[in-house]
Amino acid sequence: MLESVSQTLILGVLVGALYALVALGLSLVFGVTKFLNVAHGELLMFGGYASFWVFSLLGLDPFLTIPTTLIGLTLIGAILYQLVFVRMVKLPEEAKIKNTLLVGFGLSVILQNLALRFWSADDRGITASYSSMAFTVLGVRLPLVRLASLLTALVFLLALHLFLRKTYTGKAIRATVQDWEAATLMGIDIHRVYFLAFVLGAALAGVAGTLVAVNYSIEPSMGLNWTLKALIVMVLGGLGSITGTLVGGLLLGLTESITSLLLSSNYREVVGLVLFVLILIFRPQGLFGTKEG
Amino acid sequence: MKRNAAAGIVLAALVVAVLACLPLVVKKDSTINLLVLVLLYVVLASSWNMIGGYAGQSNLGHAAFFGIGSLVTRLLWIQGWPFVASLAVGVASAIALALLIGFPAFKLRGVYFAIGTLALAQILNVTVGNLLPEMSYNPALADYQLLPRYYLFLALAVLTIAAAYAVVHSRLGLGLMAVRGQEDAAESLGVSALKHKLIALVFSASFAGLAGGAFAYYHVSYYLNMPFHPTWTFDPMMMAYIGGAGTVIGPIVGSVFFVLIKELLVLNVGEYHLVIFGALFILVVLFLPGGLVEAWDKTRRALQRWMRSRHRSPVGTEVR
Amino acid sequence: MLSLQGIDASYQDIQALWGVSMEIQEGELVALIGPNGAGKTTTLRVISGLLKPSGGAVRFLSHDLHREPAHRIVALGISQVPESGRVFTGMSVLENLELGAFISSARRERSATLKWVFGIFPRLEERAGQMAGTLSGGERQMLAIGRALMAKPKLLMLDEPSFGLAPILVDQTFEMVAKINQQGVTVLLVEQNIRAALEMATRAYLLENGRIVGQGSGKELLSFESVRSAYLA
Repeated sequence: MLESVSQTLILGVLVGALYALVALGLSLVFGVTKFLNVAHGELLMFGGYASFWVFSLLGLDPFLTIPTTLIGLTLIGAILYQLVFVRMVKLPEEAKIKNTLLVGFGLSVILQNLALRFWSADDRGITASYSSMAFTVLGVRLPLVRLASLLTALVFLLALHLFLRKTYTGKAIRATVQDWEAATLMGIDIHRVYFLAFVLGAALAGVAGTLVAVNYSIEPSMGLNWTLKALIVMVLGGLGSITGTLVGGLLLGLTESITSLLLSSNYREVVGLVLFVLILIFRPQGLFGTKEG
Repeated sequence: MKRNAAAGIVLAALVVAVLACLPLVVKKDSTINLLVLVLLYVVLASSWNMIGGYAGQSNLGHAAFFGIGSLVTRLLWIQGWPFVASLAVGVASAIALALLIGFPAFKLRGVYFAIGTLALAQILNVTVGNLLPEMSYNPALADYQLLPRYYLFLALAVLTIAAAYAVVHSRLGLGLMAVRGQEDAAESLGVSALKHKLIALVFSASFAGLAGGAFAYYHVSYYLNMPFHPTWTFDPMMMAYIGGAGTVIGPIVGSVFFVLIKELLVLNVGEYHLVIFGALFILVVLFLPGGLVEAWDKTRRALQRWMRSRHRSPVGTEVR
Repeated sequence: MLSLQGIDASYQDIQALWGVSMEIQEGELVALIGPNGAGKTTTLRVISGLLKPSGGAVRFLSHDLHREPAHRIVALGISQVPESGRVFTGMSVLENLELGAFISSARRERSATLKWVFGIFPRLEERAGQMAGTLSGGERQMLAIGRALMAKPKLLMLDEPSFGLAPILVDQTFEMVAKINQQGVTVLLVEQNIRAALEMATRAYLLENGRIVGQGSGKELLSFESVRSAYLA
């Protein structure tokens, strides 16, 4: 029984780190640009497919396909930004959020159906040679793939953290979030900051997609569920800090695992959504209140 | 203005008459089914428009009302209840859901409302899928007749459009416009935003619920959680936007356009109609918020101006 | 160095500036004074590029500023300390100063510039690691000015640097502005504290309801009848 509980908790943590990575891109984009790109899940989906095809055609280890995903999604992100999102930069905040939400939905429909045409509706998954291997520590089974995913997620979380803290560009991004006019007065080109944030967000979505392909499966209509997961993590962890996103992800992962243990695994999906709605209703400033520092 | 309205109503009556008489002329089931699809979308798009277009609250959980309407109707009807009674309870469930969701949801402003309703609808989608995963079979399969169903959808479409027209031209409609434009300003003028939004949501939900019930009547067998799928929110939403959100005709135009494009493309290129529709939707949101109706208005006015300038006499007075 | 020629500016449909013309020569300390709502901040925003004028021109050295994006104007040599400083509260004092040196010309020399700024504001060096949000009002103002100096501007513009400060800090602030000007930085000072501004200024402009209604040397305007009766009584 104890084993089963600790197994549940550990799995919750492993999944939680993945959720944090899924949310990271959207959190970054929304925090900087106030674009609510609900096609985030579709970007993740494309990342998954990119990894899947590189894995299938070239036989590369799935984790080594990540550079492909990064490059591919950076390109897609850049194209989407220049084609569509750049036109909404100047809108006042409420209109910006609403319009990017709508446009995001349009994009998600387009991307979903393109994926459907290109790759059919079949579920795909990446099964590496080591997919069934696991460490067993103190009676708890730690699948190798989950561990590697945890590591990957943490690496990217750390990398983004260091980028934002230590580099000039990263600091420029943080300054833009806090006060974009003051940032402009420093000589910071806000448009470049927006572009960079968006493209980074897309790239991070892509990496998350790789991890999803390895840990679960991918198919063209998966996007919405993952976008919702990202939103849930953002609401749980608050905007504006990478630690918050990690905490939010872990909270979601653990809640799902515990629900799975106590009720049934069917309700994993639902509990996150219920939490989400409850927090939206009861938390005074919600997700989009002004952030300080 | 009054002449235009009267002309519009006459035109509408004509169209309805044509549609009503159509089955006498056209015997192909596939055509009737296609029309049913159009009519279903008209009801869904128009009902979404009541809360999304007129009141400006982007409800991303519309499928929940469609789903509940169809679920309750289907379950009762299969149990042996007469269809009309099942439908009535189905609609009542949709209205109950609207009230249940409405009070907490409308505490959420703008985009919170959108993602909140999206989450709520997904909760229902997954839960119904969990609790009732089986396919639902119509026991009265042998007696299946298409025409009653066609007329049901036609009647619903007419009802929905009539209701939309009535709302837009009523004090409720004015109030909704005020709330859509500037909620705080409207409140300060004594327009209760919550009351108006709730009424709009109830209208929206009831027609979606009716559509759901009709859907349950129409389909021989389907998965019970299928109508809860988000596509039943997004497609009508796109139709309303592309046609012209906030207008009465917009959703009709959008629905017809949608099915038209789908049929045209399926013949030629395959499943790209949604890709094209999605792209059109984005274009509308970015560049033409009034949709095809606005585009038509602008074109018509430009044409009128051009015609008038051509008929000017050298002295400067208009010649007719 | 800087000249505004007939600037008209509006916020959406409301016109805020009418035909504003000003000249600033190198090395001067020019004051822009006037009552609340006169359009002083608007003028600074036009120069900085945050607001595009609907008419007229802004020329700085040989550039047409009104055609340039705001972030380029900083690179051309104009820094603004906005009203209430607007320091980045979520970042440390040092990070704020580093961001001040964002433009490439300043970034190269930032260690030297930092020493210079710490020389003018030793308190900032003491508090280098502290979060800007925890600083007192006066210290934030210092940080804002120091941050603007990190860009090594040719022209420094300050929007009411004494606002909300205790009287002793007000004097200190003006002293520092004068010192900065003496060290070779041209200054455009927007102030409601008319007396102090006019006493320091080489020249001054009086802005009322979006129009320039008076100009001259600091001393001249001090004795200008309407100024005295309206603002100094």
